[in-house]
Order: sequence, then C-alpha cells, then structure tokens
Amino acid sequence: MRLNTIRNPDVASPSRSARDNIRTVTSATFEELVLDAKGPVVAEFMSYGCTHCRVMEPILQQVAGMVSPDETIVRVNIAVERELAVSYQVQGTPTLIMFLDGRERARVEGPNPTVSTVLSAVTKPFEQ
Amino acid sequence: MSLITQTQQNAPILLFNDECGVCRRIAKWVKKSAATAPGVSSIIERPIGDDPEALLALNNDLDIWDAYETIHLLMPDGSMKVGGEACAEVLRRLPSTRWFARCFAVNILGFRPFQRVLDLGYDALSDIRPVFGCESCGSPSPWLRPIAWVTQRVRVLFGGAQGSPHSAHFTGINTH
Repeated sequence: MRLNTIRNPDVASPSRSARDNIRTVTSATFEELVLDAKGPVVAEFMSYGCTHCRVMEPILQQVAGMVSPDETIVRVNIAVERELAVSYQVQGTPTLIMFLDGRERARVEGPNPTVSTVLSAVTKPFEQ
Repeated sequence: MSLITQTQQNAPILLFNDECGVCRRIAKWVKKSAATAPGVSSIIERPIGDDPEALLALNNDLDIWDAYETIHLLMPDGSMKVGGEACAEVLRRLPSTRWFARCFAVNILGFRPFQRVLDLGYDALSDIRPVFGCESCGSPSPWLRPIAWVTQRVRVLFGGAQGSPHSAHFTGINTH
C-alpha cells in the first residue's frame, strides 16, 4: 500500500509497531554480541531499502519477543556492514543466520514472512 | 542572517533512496534544477541513509522504513509530504517547473484531476523502478518480470553490471 500526503495512523510502520526487540549490531559489536555470546543468537542480515525486510520486520519483532530470553535476535545492516556480509557470504536480504556459542548452525534465506515459518527457522536448528 | 542561511532554512528536505539508481538520477536532476543562485537551493536533497535515529532527529514522525517505501519531503514547518503530493511540491519549488505545477492544485468539486494523474504516475514509476536496475526496490511485479529479465540481459550484453550480490533481495519464496 502506498501512502499519500497524510500517513494513515492505522498503518503502523514496522519499527513503530512494537517495542524494538531486535538490537542492531555493527562490526564493532558483532564479536561481543554474536560470536562471544553464550547460547543461541540469530543474526538477521538486512537493509532498510529491502522491501522484503520491511515485511519481515514486524514478524521478526514478534518472534524475538516469543523466543526471548532463551534466544537473542540481532540485526546486521549490510548496507553499512558490507565486510560482515562478505565474510558470511550473504547473497541477499533478508538472511537469518543461527549461531550457537558463536558458531553458525544454520541459515535461512528469504523466509516466508509468517510467524510460524520464522519461529520454526530460528528455533529448529537449536533443537538438534 | 545571511541570504543563504535564510534560504536553506526555508527549503524543504527531499529524502531519496541512495541505493536506487533511478532515485539518485532524479535527485541529481532536482539538485541541478533547484539551484536558484550559486550556493542557494530551493530544495535540499538528502539520502535516506541507514540510521533510523538520524531520521528521527529530522522529524519525530519520520520512520526509516516509510522513507524507503515512498518519497518524503520534509517541509520547513515540520510537516511531511509523501508520494504524489511530495512530487507536486517539489515541482512547485523548482524554478523551471513551477509554472505548470500550479495545475496540481486545481480542485473540481473536491477532486483534483491533475494531482490524481501525478499520483498514478508516481505509483507507476515506483513500480517499474526495478526494471531500470534498482536493486533496492524489491522484486518487480509479476507482469514486469519478463521485461526486467530482458532489460537485465540487454544491460549485461552491453557491458553493464549484473548488480551487486549484496543488494539482492529475496522474495519470500526462497526458503532453504
């Protein structure tokens, strides 16, 4: 839906729709918050110009609230953190990479933007 | 207060998607057209960028996802115009186009026909941006995909780039 002149208050923006459950990590904080973290961490490689990431945002916020505090979901903006995107061979956005104790366990590229799909994607790799 | 400072304070800020080649070209044209004198511009262009907080500092209601979704013009009085209304305001502010931009205000019994045409034109341009190589505008609509495919092949044939893999966006059907 495209908006004209006055923003429709009934249409919430992804980042305003709920409390921000997803922390943005940078190359400076990636090691501390992802690689050195104990337990499962999900990193979403995204960019704000990506329409599919926009669709995913409220879903991921909801899922982040559901899996917290057992799992942490963070976002990596590949438009800024290109080196991280290269080093993790991210081919497009959104890409979810599941880390357990700093090691990649699984990844999902362009998941269907439904709560059940995303919830399954970010929890199943840690059940094995 | 200098004339430049006064002018810049009264100039609206046009936010454009700096990841989109089409948007960059339009912003460049606006910048060129908005220059009323050396160092003086009737519109300030600003890339949206990647910092949500920086945008909120410009306007408390400005959301970065919305900014990428549709064109935003931040008015000096603190209001925002978006979509076709923002386009009309930009055209009103440019010296070379303000003469015909008056038509967008024509109101016939509550209906603004020229503004409606501009709204539709903006929506159409927004939809076809991926065909012109905008990697950040999402996947083309299904009816546009064959055209996008041909355009991409022609571009590669003539030595153009295929696009950065890191600006590719998945469509939601690529679950692995």
